[in-house]
Amino acid sequence: MSEVVKLQLIGLSVVGVGIVILLFVRAQFARVTGFVAIVLGLFSLVALSVPQMASLPPAEEKFDIATVKTPTDMAAIGQKIFFSKGQCALCHSIGPSESARCPDLKGIGAKLSREFIFESLTQPQAYIYLDYRHEGLPKEYPARMPYINKNPIGLTKNEILSVIAFLQQMSGEPISVNPSELEVPGQTPAAPVKAGDSVPVAVAQAR
Amino acid sequence: MRHQGGLIQRVIQTIRGSRGILAGLMVAAGLFALPSFGLAADAAPAVATEYRDIPGIGSRNIVWVIAQLHLLLAGFVLGVPIFAWLCEVVGWKSGEKRYDKLAKEFTKLLTSSYATTALFGGILLFLLIAFYPKLMNYLTDIFFPSFIFYCILFLLETATLYLYWYGWDAMQDGGKKTFHIFLGFLLNLFAFFIMIVPNSWATFQASPVVIAEGTDLQRAWAATWNPTWWPVNIHRLIANVVLGGYICGAYAGIRYLAARNAEERDHYDWMGYVGNFIGVFGLLPLPFAGYWLMREIYQYNQQMGITLMGGFLSWLFILQAMLIGVLFLGSNYYFWLGITHRIPGSEGQYKKPIMAMLVILLLCLGVWMTPHSLVASLEEARKMGGTHHPLLGVFGVMSAKMTVANLMILVTFMSFIMYWRAGKQETATWAKVARAVMGAVLVIAALAVIVLGVWGYFVPAIIRINYFSTSQVLIVLFVMLTITPLTALLLKSARTTTEMVWGRMPPRAGYALVLNAVMVILLMTLMGYARSSSRVHWHIYGVMRDSSQYAFSPALGYAAAFMALNTFLFCMLVAFIFWVATMGDKGKAGYGGGAKGELPHGMPAMAGGSQSLSKLKG
Repeated sequence: MSEVVKLQLIGLSVVGVGIVILLFVRAQFARVTGFVAIVLGLFSLVALSVPQMASLPPAEEKFDIATVKTPTDMAAIGQKIFFSKGQCALCHSIGPSESARCPDLKGIGAKLSREFIFESLTQPQAYIYLDYRHEGLPKEYPARMPYINKNPIGLTKNEILSVIAFLQQMSGEPISVNPSELEVPGQTPAAPVKAGDSVPVAVAQAR
Repeated sequence: MRHQGGLIQRVIQTIRGSRGILAGLMVAAGLFALPSFGLAADAAPAVATEYRDIPGIGSRNIVWVIAQLHLLLAGFVLGVPIFAWLCEVVGWKSGEKRYDKLAKEFTKLLTSSYATTALFGGILLFLLIAFYPKLMNYLTDIFFPSFIFYCILFLLETATLYLYWYGWDAMQDGGKKTFHIFLGFLLNLFAFFIMIVPNSWATFQASPVVIAEGTDLQRAWAATWNPTWWPVNIHRLIANVVLGGYICGAYAGIRYLAARNAEERDHYDWMGYVGNFIGVFGLLPLPFAGYWLMREIYQYNQQMGITLMGGFLSWLFILQAMLIGVLFLGSNYYFWLGITHRIPGSEGQYKKPIMAMLVILLLCLGVWMTPHSLVASLEEARKMGGTHHPLLGVFGVMSAKMTVANLMILVTFMSFIMYWRAGKQETATWAKVARAVMGAVLVIAALAVIVLGVWGYFVPAIIRINYFSTSQVLIVLFVMLTITPLTALLLKSARTTTEMVWGRMPPRAGYALVLNAVMVILLMTLMGYARSSSRVHWHIYGVMRDSSQYAFSPALGYAAAFMALNTFLFCMLVAFIFWVATMGDKGKAGYGGGAKGELPHGMPAMAGGSQSLSKLKG
């Protein structure tokens, strides 16, 4: 028996108990308790009737550099990161979508160079749209894109390169990222830290 | 300077500052609980323990229940003084003693409920220290100065509460009464600060501002003044008024159902009316505060906003719509019952407007509850051309929801005005003009809200959010701020044509009051889950990751079971507090007696003592 079914049975039982109390008990406080039980039971049943989605922490993609032989291997890892740790699909779609809130990324690997994509991910405010259609100083429209290499997402350089490989692959472009560019742990500067392990860092999140 | 060690000593000092007996109880509770935590603690002594657990039950589940009960109780003990003080001020200004008695009756609850809240707070603190030592150490390091401030606030609040409660009878006349009112104000002022200090700890977890440089005080201040702190402060302040009002209403509803004579029925009917009135008074601006909070969340971190509104929590807002919708319906229903039962001869007169309002409310609720994406099988989705329904899909977006939420507020406001004016005839010479102006304002405002809502489909989201939705909110606020004083002015010189008769409400009115209170409590539990889940797998968003086995957010069905359980437990706790607080009155009435129609000194007639009093009279 699944957890949802068990909870539904509990909800139904609570409603049933409430109905029995209302039908057979005369003491007012008990009757009100029965009424409350019915309301709470119904609430639980409604909550169980909507899609049941739990939010799992993103799976840490094992990045064993020794196993990454080709750019296609990188793209395969990048695809997983795109839909999990990177949280890209939370806002972006690949192809037209009714629910996407940010630019459609279909073909983006063909439109933009890998350097520009890397910069967009790591320095999203590097180029800000300015509106000059009025008197005085131009109005700034800062990008909504988060810094992908910083927390809460905190992709490593290797992970970002893999995502770029995926974006290029799904755009039908030759993958310009090479496994030789991957940083071997211990030989290069450390990847973005897990801030939880560190002492307070400089402004972590501020408007 | 860092404060990595001595956490427990500091906590014990913190607790010692508030109440001796409570501290003793909490320390005892903690000592009893600590060995069990050790069962699942990490064994290696060299590594600092990050988490402890109680296998089978789960540390998070325990914290969930205790934290939610503490928060609800805190809302209750902060909401009740606002409610009581408002009633006292009304009684003081109008000279109606029953308001003063009502205020006193609810203030009496504070002493026991305050202790219960502090007790749950203490238990929560011990559990957090035991289960999440690393997180608590980090938070202590940042917020240590505010812990001290919090202790001082507790001392001030406790002293003020004692003066306010024990000085009630002694400060009834002249300047003393003014001073008593001032004490009530101080009580609420300190309570407000007691609310916003822990709010800073909780909001910091969602929208942290961490600075590496500066003194302890500067670091604490930067962390306190985080982007969601004030939106949550205002939202919770208003919500506490709503909670206080509706719980008063529910209490009155239960007592009304159990009333044994006309006097009790009259009294609890009136108390239910006051409770519902104050609940609705707070409910009307509450969605605006919620809107502000969501806006700030989006401004702070768009991903968090999307997780809430469009991600895995999106269905939660359908449940929220259902609860708010039922609350609006319940509040209006109670108003309508009041009009038709308390004002003889008005049934026919108000039947049509009530039906119209009911239809509008139901339609609005239907739109609000329409999900963005439908639950559909693959085949159904293919037929629809996606998960959006071809016809109803347009109602699933924010533009529609903002519009109907504002319309529901307008309708409820109309109900409230209609009830206020029922049984009275305006005699002012400008009454006709005023009525025409009010009608025009209402109609134009409703049309403007609808036009902006429809227009919202054709403009970019940023325009809709920044300008259209804000304008809708301002329009509705404008309606309230113009019609309320205008009605008050009109009714100042109005002639009462039909006296309001208390005690004639049908039993379902009592159940409506209970339902409203349950809806408010459920809403608080639901949004608590939303706030916590919006941080996803972070203890402190983007700063400290949750690496425990409970780093996931459970699905809505599982969470709803906890919400229902917490709501039920809270209702039982409140019932217990009411029972304990009124037990002494029954005793006094039994022993002291008193002449017919005369109340024993210091014993208000409205709660607890009433039954005994009626027996005495009988």
